[in-house]
Amino acid sequence: MSTSNFVLFLVSGGLAIVGAIGTVASRKPLRAAVALLLHIIALAALYLTLHAELLAALQLLVYAGAIVVLFVFVIMLIGPAAEVPSNPRGKITRLLSLVVGGSVMATVSFALVGHTAPRLPMLRNEAGENIFGTVEGMGVAIYQQALVPFELVSAALLVAIIGAIAIARSRTPQEQAVVVERQAERIELAAARDAELAQATAKVGS
Amino acid sequence: MSVWMLVSPLLMLGLGGLLVMLVDAFVDEKAELPILTAILLAVAGGVAAAGIVNYDNVALAGAPEYLTRYLAFDRFALFFDVVVCGGAALSALLAGGYLREHDLERGEFYILIIYAALGAMVLGHAIDLLTIFIGLETMSLGAYAMVAFRRTSARAVEGAVKYFLLGSFAAAILLFGSALLYGATGHTDLAGIGEAIEGGNASIKLVLMAMFMMIVGLAFKVSAVPFHMWTPDAYEGAVTPATTFMSVAVKSAAFAVMVRVLLTVFGDDLSASAASGWPPVIAGLAAITMVYGNLAAIGQSSVKRMLAYSSVAHAGYAMVGVVAAFRVEEIAVSSVLFYLMAYTVGNVLTFGALIWFGSNGREAVSYEDLAGAGRRHPLVALPFVIGVLTLMGFPPTAGFFAKYYVFNAAVQAGGGMIWLAIIGVLSSAVGAYYYLRVIVFLFMKEPQPGAPIAIPMRSGYVAFVMIIAGYFVMKMGITPGPYLDLAMSAAEQFVS
Repeated sequence: MSTSNFVLFLVSGGLAIVGAIGTVASRKPLRAAVALLLHIIALAALYLTLHAELLAALQLLVYAGAIVVLFVFVIMLIGPAAEVPSNPRGKITRLLSLVVGGSVMATVSFALVGHTAPRLPMLRNEAGENIFGTVEGMGVAIYQQALVPFELVSAALLVAIIGAIAIARSRTPQEQAVVVERQAERIELAAARDAELAQATAKVGS
Repeated sequence: MSVWMLVSPLLMLGLGGLLVMLVDAFVDEKAELPILTAILLAVAGGVAAAGIVNYDNVALAGAPEYLTRYLAFDRFALFFDVVVCGGAALSALLAGGYLREHDLERGEFYILIIYAALGAMVLGHAIDLLTIFIGLETMSLGAYAMVAFRRTSARAVEGAVKYFLLGSFAAAILLFGSALLYGATGHTDLAGIGEAIEGGNASIKLVLMAMFMMIVGLAFKVSAVPFHMWTPDAYEGAVTPATTFMSVAVKSAAFAVMVRVLLTVFGDDLSASAASGWPPVIAGLAAITMVYGNLAAIGQSSVKRMLAYSSVAHAGYAMVGVVAAFRVEEIAVSSVLFYLMAYTVGNVLTFGALIWFGSNGREAVSYEDLAGAGRRHPLVALPFVIGVLTLMGFPPTAGFFAKYYVFNAAVQAGGGMIWLAIIGVLSSAVGAYYYLRVIVFLFMKEPQPGAPIAIPMRSGYVAFVMIIAGYFVMKMGITPGPYLDLAMSAAEQFVS
């Protein structure tokens, strides 16, 4: 890794961590959204250090351009003044979670120190050129190598959309009509059953 | 036969889900979507079953590389196709009775079941970290939405939010573990990672961290103690058919991944031994899960919540089989498979009976609701009795042999595992208390004066599910042989 690349890595990596902490720690939703934006941009810069230029551009377009904007819209809709109530947990619980989280982080860092990732063969096209990170490379990776996971992701996105609709949508008038009809049927049924029961009881009584 | 026959259950659910969506959009609101969904799932499960039977005739060698690189089409995966599709089909039929009776009927629920089942099946087939994660997310997103389906209920929303937040953390931890594995070995396919670890080409520190994180993520999904916190709330808040689906299909698929990951990735001598690696960890988790699940279930006044804790305890029993797999692979894996199959039909039966006792917007939830109901409606109470008996492990039901095989596997493994079997037997004896309590309330108690009386719903769907599930519970209890052979053949091929 060249020096300039290393500096870019340090700066963008640091900013990504700052952004991530800001996202979960800030009480004002709008600030959290802006911190998320910082994190996403820093992540795009990290992709650049890995020579994944297309991925970096897509990251900016999709996440920074579309998703964070959507978040901000929603926050504005709810009201930007909305604030998260302060953490109701006691000091001891918070301290404990800090200790546990810190020790996990320390262990992972310890495991990572001095580790060099294995060298993998580069993705090459038929002419033997290195196509990693280019549009061509992305196309080969998604539509030739990882075709099955790619199709499965569409199922994952579909189920997320349907789930969102299932939770958010209210009944249509037609559905409401069916519900009312069914309720009436059940009330009729119950009345008939009650009458039957009363008749039977009367018979036993006499 | 070409390999596409083995792929077709997945394709059927993927395309069939779209079909059900179209049907839902164009027909009127009274359409019989539950039947359509159940037929779709049953056909997919049937094709998978046919695939297992005719497995030797399948030309696997000609399978395209892009397919076999990410998904395995072995008997193990097909076995989980059958279990997941069966559980999902029965849950869909239960939903047909339940949602209608409680005025919640909306087509989205069936589509969620189909796609969540697709995710669960992908988990059974997955042999790459990428497909594991995608399958897990597909399944979990469906399950989160199903829990929140009754959005006007504060309980459902609370359960769904807890499940969603904790589930996202668990998925993130699993992903972290996957990233560490990739960083340590340079592979994302399970076999490749396993080889690299076995060959000593991976940093042990990283592999251990990764193992720890994968176990945490998977233990969450099977709701093992201490990662079970979401289970009672999500199970209680969800509409009961969703609870059924979660407790059978989601749990089975999570076990499929657990077995495959532990045995293929961490199958080397260092990671899988009595003193180091995952067996001691899973054994500890299994022990506290069995003990805590059963003890916590005793204190519940709600039957639904009790069943949630009982499903925690059952995850513990199944994990006993998973641990034993490090020494007696075949026997242990087949016992886990048999356990999941028996647990699926037993749980569908019990939750279905609970559903049957609710009508007209009023669900039977607590023990008090059930008081005397068995004497008023003996026919409706019969599946309930069989259901709790099989969950308890009472012979001659499926649950008895399921427990027997799992504990037998532990005994065969020997060493400290025998203690695990003893803890299992003792804690299932504790479990008898709260299972029998259901029967006591059904037949020997009278409702409090003035208390509302549980009236069973009239639903052909629920009655049909009770017959099917009851049949299999008894059949697997009286002649477990063929089912055990099926589990054996699935385990055999997977192990070798």
